[in-house]
Amino acid sequence: MTIDHDTLRHLSDASVAVELETEDMTLNIGPQHPSTHGVLRLVAKVDGERARDVQPAIGYMHRGYEKLAEVRTYPQITAFINRIDWVSGYANEVPFIAAAEKLMEIEVPERAQYIRLILTEMARIASHMIFMASYPLELGAATPLFFALRDRERVLDLLESVTGGRFHPNFNRIGGVKPAAGAGPTQKKASQDLPKGFLAGTHDAMDKLLATCDELESLIAGNEIFQARTKGIGVLPGEIAADFGVSGPNLRASGIAFDLRRHTDFLPYDQFEFDVPTGRNGDCWDRWWVRLEEIRQAARIIQQAVDAIPSGALQAKVPKIIKVPKGEVYVRAENPKGEMGYYLVSEGGQGPYRLKIRSASFSNISILPWILEGVLVPDIIAILGSLDFVLGDVDR
Amino acid sequence: MDTIISFFQDNFWALLVVKLIAIAGLIPVSGLLIGFGELKLSAKMQSRVGPYFAGGRWGWAQLLADGIKFIQKEDIIPADADRQVFRWAPALVMLSTVGLFVVIPFWPGGIVQDLDVGIFYALAISSLSTIGVLMAGWSSANKYSLMGGLRAAGQLIAYELPMVLAVIGVVIMAGTMSLGGIVEAQRSFAIFGLETGLVISPFFFAQILGFVIFFIASLAEMSRIPFDMPIAESELVTGFLTEYSGFRFLFFFLAEFANMFTMSAIAVTLFLGGYLGPGIEQFPFLGPVYLASKVAVLVFFMIWFRWTFPRFREDQLQNLAWKWLVPLGLLNIVVTGIFKVVA
Amino acid sequence: MTTSPSETTDTGAGSFADWVGEVASAVGSEDWSADHGTAKVMVAADAWHAALSTAKLELGLVFFSYLSAIDWANDVAVGDPPAEPVDERYEVLAGVADLAEGRIVHFSTTLPKDGASLPSITDVYAGANWHEREATEMFDIAFEGHPNPVKLYLPDAFEGHPLQKTYPLLSREVKPWPGTVDVEPMPEVADPEAPSTENPEA
Repeated sequence: MTIDHDTLRHLSDASVAVELETEDMTLNIGPQHPSTHGVLRLVAKVDGERARDVQPAIGYMHRGYEKLAEVRTYPQITAFINRIDWVSGYANEVPFIAAAEKLMEIEVPERAQYIRLILTEMARIASHMIFMASYPLELGAATPLFFALRDRERVLDLLESVTGGRFHPNFNRIGGVKPAAGAGPTQKKASQDLPKGFLAGTHDAMDKLLATCDELESLIAGNEIFQARTKGIGVLPGEIAADFGVSGPNLRASGIAFDLRRHTDFLPYDQFEFDVPTGRNGDCWDRWWVRLEEIRQAARIIQQAVDAIPSGALQAKVPKIIKVPKGEVYVRAENPKGEMGYYLVSEGGQGPYRLKIRSASFSNISILPWILEGVLVPDIIAILGSLDFVLGDVDR
Repeated sequence: MDTIISFFQDNFWALLVVKLIAIAGLIPVSGLLIGFGELKLSAKMQSRVGPYFAGGRWGWAQLLADGIKFIQKEDIIPADADRQVFRWAPALVMLSTVGLFVVIPFWPGGIVQDLDVGIFYALAISSLSTIGVLMAGWSSANKYSLMGGLRAAGQLIAYELPMVLAVIGVVIMAGTMSLGGIVEAQRSFAIFGLETGLVISPFFFAQILGFVIFFIASLAEMSRIPFDMPIAESELVTGFLTEYSGFRFLFFFLAEFANMFTMSAIAVTLFLGGYLGPGIEQFPFLGPVYLASKVAVLVFFMIWFRWTFPRFREDQLQNLAWKWLVPLGLLNIVVTGIFKVVA
Repeated sequence: MTTSPSETTDTGAGSFADWVGEVASAVGSEDWSADHGTAKVMVAADAWHAALSTAKLELGLVFFSYLSAIDWANDVAVGDPPAEPVDERYEVLAGVADLAEGRIVHFSTTLPKDGASLPSITDVYAGANWHEREATEMFDIAFEGHPNPVKLYLPDAFEGHPLQKTYPLLSREVKPWPGTVDVEPMPEVADPEAPSTENPEA
């Protein structure tokens, strides 16, 4: 399929001039609205029930992360970086820390890598469970919310037992993960930092989670009304998705089997067997289904990792005051929402000179003007929900 | 004692006052009971507890507390709203619900007014709510409300027709349009010599298609999920109800639950035998008991559907009405007519 | 298998660096680097559009990742200045990747601070639209040919360009940057006699 760039460019960002028009009604969806996942504002010109021209207005959640990172040291940045995509807190920290470690050329111990991987996959489950809960709710089904959140609680309890935080773990340190309290930054002996019963408890929790996935599938997937609301709605062809920078489950639902976990070198994904679910049509149904399958695959990875976790140090030897040598590096990772990248420019100081945060949801919702052209108002909500974005990720 | 009863039976106005008081009392009670049932049942389905603290550990006082809270709220009318229309919209919706209580038979002979055109009147009165909803949507001076109101108008008009067609089958079988007469007609049928007309009437088996159509259409008339596009909480905030607060919102709210009762009662009367049950001859006071239990079964199904399904999109909804329910309803009439003539 | 970052660049460095060199020569640039596993190709500002077109159409880098800028300045209002004096300039970066092997190339170009302007690449990558708007409002870089160059994040009435190094953070004006402050030493350092608080085996 060839892309008509003129049309694409025109549709991807037409102007938001508000004129006095007599045919179309300008409907403001948001920023306070039950279904916009945060403070997203869509200015929609609506003709009856059909949207003619939808422009997102973002920036209500802009917190100035990149500017803030220039005045903070690396450990301080780790404390707030997990608030970018707040439903999958832990997954935001890992690529940033990996970037700093690459510049310092530090070798992260294996046990720490495994722990990071397990917690990242738990963050993936947490994020996708929020999607499982809220998406049927936007379409009118209120009950899957409770089942999905109940299972999310299992994962959050596990995260809390390890890191002390449910949403904002702040668990990474340069060189590894947070060591046991009292052991300080250097390890005198291999200390088992994971709490007692964590590994067995995780295994059980994953079994229960897989059972709930089956429950959710039978409750939602077989429902004809749900299928009628999502199949064939919001079709996103793979080429257009790549052109806009859409990544993660949205890209995979459009048929492109690209998963950064297969190309990540700072986490040991190549030790585990897992499938990359890929959709066929790129409609809302595929985006829902891909995320459901990803929960299953994440549970599978966690179970394998928990069985295979090696013993060892939790953190490499690093100096007390962290100074990252001069250099530039870009690290990208497969976050639950898509590709998250950190371009780190260091001038040898205690903090970055420039930190560019490439967040997944920002690119994911840049296709809204294109994909929402000419759809019915209820379908706007269905498509918006299926993209699964979080405003913190969009606005940083 | 006998003089008192005969006084009430002879004096038209006294009887009327008694009936009005009874209906006025029944509306909030039915609304509250069904509302409470919805809260608790939905909680059970979602593995939560539901109202717990209001009134002991059962939470039975939750809706009472909500009602009192609503009554004491400030009356807010948007500045741009059409004030008179805004005020009268909830009244019209409540009127259509209240008007239905007039023709529901509670026990043999226990009907407020046994109109000859009972079911015709019932259908006509229930469609008044369409006007009320449109009034609410238009007068709120809010784009969301307007969209909700227009969606409601389309939906409610579309689903009137299947409802009427489903009812015609029953009328053919019963031979009368009066609701009291329809219930009585369900009494004396026997299948294999068994007096089955007393609990589940043969109308249910003979008119199963009509029953299904009527049930689906009544869900749409009440704007309940899967047909709640007019309200569509996640899209239109609350659709045509968005600008209503306080006592006016309570009216809509109560009207919805009372409407669940009346629609179910009509369905029970038409298809399930109304107040009929074992021992109805000797103990007429069992009539309301049987009616209430059958209504409870139907209400349970309504609640169950509401919490399980997502909602239809407007065009899918219209598709269902015009392309499926109307032809099936016509088919039902034809088949019923043939059987009535032949058998 | 433990992979340290330096190992990766060493064992794969040969083929990785070769590949970056190929990309650079395909867009006609001699200036590139493959340090730390990051492929960076420097192009001149007037070759920017052509380089990115080549990247998409010939090199198979169809995935648009991001576009942003770095403000190289010696007088900074926030944070620390660079270690050694640098040429004051804007460096615009665009990351594009392929979908087969997951390799990403960062194209970089240099713009002067005054009147910084670059041709827009929205006709090559549609996704550059929002990223260019962000760069405009954050750095004051104009993109010629952009279909809708209005502010993205900031309110319409906002004055100034926040990510420029000369843009101050007000809270740092009120109370200056304290530098490294170790508020409380680690327990081991504070009291070496204290019993260990390690968790037993999981």
